[in-house]
Amino acid sequence: MQTFAVEVKGLTKKFGSFTALDNLNLNIALGTVYGLLGPNGAGKTTAIKILCGLLRPNGGEGYVLGKKVPNRSILPEIGYMPQETALYLDLTVHGNMALYGDLFGLSRSRIAERESELLDFVALQKWKDSLVSNLSGGMKHRVSLACSMIHEPKLLFLDEPTVGVDPELRAAFWEYFDLLKKKGVTIVLTTHYMDEAQHCDRIALLRQGQLLAEGTPGDVIKSAGATNLEEAFLALAKREDGRS
Amino acid sequence: MNIHRALAITRRIFRGLRRDRRTVALMFLAPIVAMCVFGLAFSGDVEDVKVVVVNLDAGFTHPELNVPVSFSQAIVSNFDKEVLKVDPVADVEEGVRLVREGSAYAVIIFPERFSESLYMKSQNPSYSGDTTIQVREDRSNVNVANAITKSVSDAILKTAQDVGQDLPMKVDAEDAIYGKGAKFMDFFVPGIMAFVVFMLTTLLTLISFVGERTSGNLERLQSTPLRESELVVGYAIAFSIIGMLQTVVLLVIGVAAFDIMIVGNIVLAFAVIALLAIVSLSLGILLSSLAKREAQAIQFFPLIVLPTFLLAGIFWPVEAIPGWLRPLSYAIPPSYAVDATRSVMLRGWGIGEIWIDIVALCGFAGAFLIVAILSLKRGRR
Ligand SMILES: Nc1ncnc2c1ncn2[C@@H]1O[C@H](COP(=O)(O)OP(=O)(O)O)[C@@H](O)[C@H]1O
Ligand SMILES: [Mg+2]
Repeated sequence: MQTFAVEVKGLTKKFGSFTALDNLNLNIALGTVYGLLGPNGAGKTTAIKILCGLLRPNGGEGYVLGKKVPNRSILPEIGYMPQETALYLDLTVHGNMALYGDLFGLSRSRIAERESELLDFVALQKWKDSLVSNLSGGMKHRVSLACSMIHEPKLLFLDEPTVGVDPELRAAFWEYFDLLKKKGVTIVLTTHYMDEAQHCDRIALLRQGQLLAEGTPGDVIKSAGATNLEEAFLALAKREDGRS
Repeated sequence: MNIHRALAITRRIFRGLRRDRRTVALMFLAPIVAMCVFGLAFSGDVEDVKVVVVNLDAGFTHPELNVPVSFSQAIVSNFDKEVLKVDPVADVEEGVRLVREGSAYAVIIFPERFSESLYMKSQNPSYSGDTTIQVREDRSNVNVANAITKSVSDAILKTAQDVGQDLPMKVDAEDAIYGKGAKFMDFFVPGIMAFVVFMLTTLLTLISFVGERTSGNLERLQSTPLRESELVVGYAIAFSIIGMLQTVVLLVIGVAAFDIMIVGNIVLAFAVIALLAIVSLSLGILLSSLAKREAQAIQFFPLIVLPTFLLAGIFWPVEAIPGWLRPLSYAIPPSYAVDATRSVMLRGWGIGEIWIDIVALCGFAGAFLIVAILSLKRGRR
């Protein structure tokens, strides 16, 4: 029986001589919210792109839904929200959502249903027919999130989903992620806001392509002898530097 | 290959265009402007050239008919009035001065006793009077100068005919096998059609794909079940339709404003243009992988346009290109489209005659498409 949504074994990615991911090992259980944490340049985006089949690793392997990546057969099951807004500015909100609905082979009526549900969730119902270029940064971000979920994926990869989103909506996002989790959806997200990670079932702390710590947020804090994740990260980073 | 996904891409391109008036204007106004400006400027017909005539010939009285006769005046009156705007001047110095100061392109000088000498010569070939018409041109503009020389020669022939002194031989090019009565525009429209579609399709896909890459949209697309081949085919469908629409616009204006000749099966011409659009968009996609930003992409552009402009046979035939450059003409895809559309429209040729062009274009399209798809896949390193 498949128990992990994602398994990563010794994953390594180099860009030229620069090592962006260094021998990463992770297991992400089905139906959990998993956070990849770390400062900019830690390799979070690189890891997600490899798992979505957008980049090839130089070493090690990643398994997504039991299949070794890259693998086209998992693509209908996963949703990917890139770190950049990645929307067509010359299309309306509806135009963007319909495009992804079409690409996942949804029927017209199904697209309309999903669009309505998702726009309610991101509170953009009345912007449905506005051009994306006329929306604010935060609104674009919400459209982007909605686009990645149009096909009800089993596994969601969200790259910095809460950046530039106001606190109220951010809270709503986390509530929604909990709701999805209850439906059995696995969510892998990245963030560089340490405080947010409290909402995750488990987290991985990344730094310079290496795994500093892994576990529930509480475990990670405890193992570092700290009181919050921010402190824990700094303590673990210092420990790591002392070792090398 | 899932055609629904390809069509989803096609639909998104058209949806985007519906909101993007500027691009649509570029797509349809640029071809019209290009056709009119180039068409009128290059129309090849030199007109309204100022020349001055110094007529030292006073005419003479025909000894048999006993009437005053001036062959010089007859020749001048036979000048093509569309080409030459003739002003008489009194003497050679004045005429030469006008050419020197740029007021006229040539001074045409009839010698003294021209008419009389001409008559005497016709009676007695060994007569020694001066019957040379001197045309002193400003040859700094060769096209204009050649038009003057031709106009004068034509007038001489016509005058000789008028007075029954026809040459014992002549050339008759009236009964053309193809393109009977064709004007420059008839030759030009098929060329500019191919050029415009090639240029705009390459430019627009180039810009569009740089956008797909830099915005992150390409990666998002690649995380869906969409295949690279479906993405490219979606673009190909959209841009062949756009290319054909551009062709329709150009043909309608060509027929309405320039009364161009279309003797062949126009559907075949559309098919050729659609093929060319596919070649061009593949090229655009390829170039987009070399450019990191839109601004860089634009820099490639002259590299595409200039050789095409000069070598594809749009303004002058490939035969007019120096032999050592001609292989280049055959290496650029629009050459085949220009040749094929021209053959269809002016010669009325069918697939049986233009198949070589079609095969060449299909070859380019296939090869470019494959390389474009590979270049997109290569992004996933
Ligand atoms: N295509 C690339 N070419 C070269 N270096 C890259 C490329 N993508 C990412 N990097 C580098 O790899 C490191 C990790 O990047 P990334 O995974 O985006 O980090 P994060 O998402 O954690 O901020 C960064 O130092 C970045 O500069
Ligand atoms: Mg990142």
